[in-house]
Amino acid sequence: MSLMDKLLDLDQRIIYAMLFIALAFPILHPIVLPMDIQAYSQESFDFADSIPDGSVVLIEGGLTAATYPQGGPGLEVQIVHMLRKDVKLVFFSIGTETAAWTVTAINNALARLPAGVAAENGVNWVHMGYVPGGESGTAAFANDIRSVKSEDHFGTPIDQIPLMNDINMASDFAAVFWWGGSEGSIPYGVRQIVTPFGVPMTGMCTTNEVPNYSPYINSGQLHGIIGGVRGSAEYEYLMSMPGLALGQAMATNFGGLLWAFLVVLGNVLYFIARREGGNK
Amino acid sequence: MQIPIILTAIIGILMIIEFFFPMPTAMTSLNVTLRSFVTIISAAALILGTLVLTIYHGKKVGTKSSEWYYSIIYIAAFVITAGLGVINVRDTTFLWIYNNMTSPIGAALYSLTAFYITSAAYRVLRARNWNSAVLLVCALIVLLMLIPVGAILFPPVVPIGTWIRSIPSGAGFRGMIIGTSLGIMGLGVRVFTGRQKEHLGIREERRKE
Repeated sequence: MSLMDKLLDLDQRIIYAMLFIALAFPILHPIVLPMDIQAYSQESFDFADSIPDGSVVLIEGGLTAATYPQGGPGLEVQIVHMLRKDVKLVFFSIGTETAAWTVTAINNALARLPAGVAAENGVNWVHMGYVPGGESGTAAFANDIRSVKSEDHFGTPIDQIPLMNDINMASDFAAVFWWGGSEGSIPYGVRQIVTPFGVPMTGMCTTNEVPNYSPYINSGQLHGIIGGVRGSAEYEYLMSMPGLALGQAMATNFGGLLWAFLVVLGNVLYFIARREGGNK
Repeated sequence: MQIPIILTAIIGILMIIEFFFPMPTAMTSLNVTLRSFVTIISAAALILGTLVLTIYHGKKVGTKSSEWYYSIIYIAAFVITAGLGVINVRDTTFLWIYNNMTSPIGAALYSLTAFYITSAAYRVLRARNWNSAVLLVCALIVLLMLIPVGAILFPPVVPIGTWIRSIPSGAGFRGMIIGTSLGIMGLGVRVFTGRQKEHLGIREERRKE
């Protein structure tokens, strides 16, 4: 086997090792490179920032163990952002695992909250927990919260939660933040909350899902979107709260550049081999 | 057989009418109750699914069919985790299992895709013809647009990448969404008229003789 053949059929373990180094190095030795803010992220941030102080917003926490590293840091910073503005937060999740990760996000955000910002459970925020039924469950929750939830995630009866006194349906919220991760559930919010109740919404998804939601953004049904770890990093950057996502975004720089380099290298080698009469 | 089909049609049509038109309070209350049934049935389905899976693995162990030892791992994991969860879902042991086993496994599996995609892209993403060349160029532009430093190193990728994502890609996805929605509407009509019976546990449509 010639060198060209070996390079064209490069051992995948070498590629894995190169990618591992490209991803691990910037995390172990943080290197901050300049970053451009994407239009979708800026739109989503501006939408959140424009919510009037004292409003109540609904947050669907749809992050799992797999997607929390991408969206978790962004959700945490958004919770801080909203609580700083005295915006009240009502969380819910359409998955059992995601309900638990939402608790993690709330706890991490509360730990980062500046002193003096009110963040009392039941007064400034409440986590309604898991709502079964996917899109139908979302519709039921949006139409009558008390018909599907009698207590919050921690077992407190809904009637003993001061924040829920005047809240029972989607139209009681000023906005919706749908942190869908890779659930593919953002259209549930568009169909069951934005369209019937006219409540404006923004969201978060993994990077690969962003094109799926471009039509909703172009039509104005979604006010921008936070895409993957870069979106989270941009939220951290816009809030001047550098955290995990910014570090990971730097890792994606190196991983992405390596990916592009390998693809270009593969094509260059392919054309050389073809010119030399190879059959690859 | 006719009663479940008629019930499905009535309930489905009620939901559709409520979505588009104002309804009397009594009818809205009925719809709210029906929707709450969905959440209860979904939660019950979760339990049913778990039971069916456990019975399946139990039978595999009982009959010592192929790779039955993996089923023991499932049963042990299920009994320990579910048992601790039933005793107290906020117990530290239960949370320890979740935080230190379930979460890292989920995160690790998802992370592996980055390695597989990179290896696959190196081997497959080659400009063998015009079609694959267009795919290759678009993929490189969108990737460079998405990595944070891409816009700084290669500024033209931002307007071109944004155009690719918003216009051709957006149009494709919009077409897919509209097509799926029309398909769902067609499926709804078939369910309401009794031509589609999978929701009743009947796999094949009964053909007219």
